[in-house]
Amino acid sequence: MNTAPGSPLLHPATRGWLLALVAALVVATQLGAVQVAPADWWAAFAGDPLSGSAHVLWHLRLPRALLAMTVGAALGLCGALTQGLFRNPLADPGLLGVTSGAACAAALVLTVFAGAQGGVPPAWRAWLLPVAAFIGALAVCLALERMARWLTPGSIAGLLLTGLALNAITMAIVGLCSYLATDEQLRSLTFWTLGSLSAASWGLVGVLATALGVCSWYARRLAQALNALALGEAAAGHVGVDVPRLRAGLVAIVALLSALAVAWCGLIGFIGLMAPHLVRGRAGADQRRVLPLAMAAGALLLLVADTVARTVAVPAEIPVGIFTALIGGPGFLFLLRGVARQQGGHA
Amino acid sequence: MNRDEWNQALLGMEGAVVQLPGRRFGPFDLAVHAGERIAILGPSGAGKSTLLKLMAGEHAAHAGTVRLDGQPLATRRAAALARRRAVLPQSHGVAFGMPVDLVVALGRIAREPDPAQPAVVAQALAAAQATHLAGRRFDTLSGGEQARVQLARVFAQLWDAHGALLLVDEPLSALDPGLQWALMDALQRFTRERQHALVAVLHDINQALAGFDRLWLLHQGQLQADLPPNAQAVPALERLYGISLRCVVDANADPSGRLAVLPVRAPSPATLATQPMSEAA
Repeated sequence: MNTAPGSPLLHPATRGWLLALVAALVVATQLGAVQVAPADWWAAFAGDPLSGSAHVLWHLRLPRALLAMTVGAALGLCGALTQGLFRNPLADPGLLGVTSGAACAAALVLTVFAGAQGGVPPAWRAWLLPVAAFIGALAVCLALERMARWLTPGSIAGLLLTGLALNAITMAIVGLCSYLATDEQLRSLTFWTLGSLSAASWGLVGVLATALGVCSWYARRLAQALNALALGEAAAGHVGVDVPRLRAGLVAIVALLSALAVAWCGLIGFIGLMAPHLVRGRAGADQRRVLPLAMAAGALLLLVADTVARTVAVPAEIPVGIFTALIGGPGFLFLLRGVARQQGGHA
Repeated sequence: MNRDEWNQALLGMEGAVVQLPGRRFGPFDLAVHAGERIAILGPSGAGKSTLLKLMAGEHAAHAGTVRLDGQPLATRRAAALARRRAVLPQSHGVAFGMPVDLVVALGRIAREPDPAQPAVVAQALAAAQATHLAGRRFDTLSGGEQARVQLARVFAQLWDAHGALLLVDEPLSALDPGLQWALMDALQRFTRERQHALVAVLHDINQALAGFDRLWLLHQGQLQADLPPNAQAVPALERLYGISLRCVVDANADPSGRLAVLPVRAPSPATLATQPMSEAA
């Protein structure tokens, strides 16, 4: 039996994804309005203050590319975990309303409760959005779980429709917020619901990479239990999985990572849906392999999407969320067809 | 049944009740000993699967207790329980395109890290006559092939246990007769070799008569009888299902003189209702 990944780094699929990622990273940093020379790469180690193209490389392009990879990896992991949790290849935090729950809570903080921000110590204000987004994402996750079980137990269509309803409710609140917003608030809100990585900085990359590291370590420990969940909830319990604890762990990771991604980068859809699917086709359904590879695939997808979004109409920049939705929408239809074919129409 | 017997039992139920919306099952006072083979029979809706889920720990006892190895099920952790009892469910869908080997290996999840896993998986597949399915995707298999793989998963779970409990819920009812008997034989062999107790919900009366030591007859959520599978069980079975049974003893097929029965249509309210109503009018 060869399903246990003894040394994941040496597995050809992993190696392929990593090589593609490094290549994409190099290409992404080369593209843009300003030409970057190979010498600029060493400028940061020379000790002199960075200027011109070296500044562009080290303070703009590199953090942005790394942010795209980190957020993409987080979205890919969230998608894979959500699909495992709901035993459904069509589940995704975006489709199920988890990310719009995060967006809804953050929009409330940005607009309706903007006045209340004065009560928060200035040092903590940067964390206001992420914390609000986390609460929003968690609330939708928990509501989704309860409602889908209660309204339509075991039904995949019921789950997706519950997600659709929650999505509609939360987006209505976002809409209400933008209606009530001042011009300035509206600008940041609109920009943010479209999804963008332009907030990139080394500090942000550090925060997200740390969260991603912890979450992916924990997710890796849950991978085999997640495999057992594919047998069904009852059977997973029978083989010895503590299902309620597993579910709580999965919900916590998904809510945390979705919220962090949404809080700083806005709504970026379809990465979480497509990344695990791309991986599962080639590498099989074993979650121990799907989880790390879905992270790699998500990182690559978002890096490519963002690079195209910021270079296709230089010097203007298309919000990357629009771009992923444009590509991801048809991708989802394609996926739907494949799933329907496999399950003989029981999707 | 006295307290000593309960304490020695592998699984003991004392006044155990399952309460589901609008229905109450039990109270059940039953004991299962290591090596015993028990068939649960009864008409649809009698509570066979519910009783099995109570024994599995899937339904909590609303009143009374269920003990495995003398400890209440409710106090035992899922992993500890999984090393002492396995469950083969009625339906067995597996999400995603899981490979067969992984499905079987998941039976060993409570034992991880488990260096014996690859060997046990291979042996369990062989015992379930599914070696040729290794390497395939579970969702591409036929119903019969899926049943074999799920059987192998359950075998893997209790492969190196002794005197454990195996609960089986009509896993064979959708299969062709040849495969039904082949898999039942594999199941019997597996449990006999390890002194596991086997408790199976069955539809086929003859399977119950041929391979089991005790019959639990269930009717409307209550245990109606707990009988050995001999000629005395036949009237009880007739009453249970509302049919007539003709006894057949085939000494060639089974030298132990085990009983087999042939269901015969009996005048029951159901058949009367289908007759023309002209006389009544």
